[in-house]
Amino acid sequence: MSYFRITLMRSGIGMPQKTQGVLKALGLKKRMTTVYHPVTQSVAGQIMRIKELVDVKEVKRALTPAEQKAARRPAPGYYVESRAAQAMKDWE
Amino acid sequence: MALLARTARKALLETRASLPPTCLLPLRAHITTQSHTLETGNVPDPLIQSGQRVSSDLKDKTASRTLSPRAPTPSTPSSPNARLDVVSKQITPSIRNLLPLLHSQPSHYMTLHIHGRPYLLTRGDTLRLPFLMPHVKPGDVLRLNRATHIGSRDYTLKAPEPIKGTADHGKKVFYLDERLFTVRARVVGIDTEPMRVEEKTKRRQRHTKHVYSKMRFTVLKISELEVKSLQEYEEVLKGEGEGEGQATEA
Repeated sequence: MSYFRITLMRSGIGMPQKTQGVLKALGLKKRMTTVYHPVTQSVAGQIMRIKELVDVKEVKRALTPAEQKAARRPAPGYYVESRAAQAMKDWE
Repeated sequence: MALLARTARKALLETRASLPPTCLLPLRAHITTQSHTLETGNVPDPLIQSGQRVSSDLKDKTASRTLSPRAPTPSTPSSPNARLDVVSKQITPSIRNLLPLLHSQPSHYMTLHIHGRPYLLTRGDTLRLPFLMPHVKPGDVLRLNRATHIGSRDYTLKAPEPIKGTADHGKKVFYLDERLFTVRARVVGIDTEPMRVEEKTKRRQRHTKHVYSKMRFTVLKISELEVKSLQEYEEVLKGEGEGEGQATEA
């Protein structure tokens, strides 16, 4: 089953109330939020109503919010090589 | 009784016979109890051929819930604000030519990234991080393994510029190979700032609320910052290549 990946590229501020309602129904709260919805007629119709504001792509799998957050996070860039407590124990 | 019924039947038959055939009757609006449903039998041909008709192809398409086979295949998910860290693994001709020159010069600096933020450091530097590093204590030794620049007085080895994220791919950040250098940092201690006092006021109230806060920051000292020579680097690469070969064989 495939999914629509919908990203809000332009804000819904200043749009008619109906358009903002569609954004709310899809779960797009602020710019650059990404949501995944299954490929269905109803979702396609909702996307048609806000097509000027969003970027849409069809993907195989929906990412969970946790996965999306993990994908944004940079690598820590360090690892602990030796612990001071352990080193003291070894020295004694 | 039976006689009466027979006469009635006869009368009915007579009236039917007396009526002219239906084609000769004057044209009138038909009032029937028969329903005019959209069956193919009673819908004219041009209407069936019109665009309003739902073809079997379209029915299949809507039923299967996927796009047509000609549509591009759905890609693997990656959001536009995702980030991909790319650490180079290969030795390039420029590294082969210029690493000896870089290595021959005495002191080096590096741009090291911790949680994606760059810090320009040399050996002996004290770095007060802008956060309290979790799960470390003073005396612990950290290895820093994400660098974008290695420089000396005259030469700089740079990683490629990061590529901005688009709708098709996330941000790509390139780092130098972590086997090119060794950077060790010791956790020296935890720094604190002076107590902050924020005054919270409300209108038409004489009372002022004071909010106190005191942040803590981890302090690191760069104890070792070395760039490997070309020979050492090639040995490491060769050793890893052999190791990988064995792993694949086994």
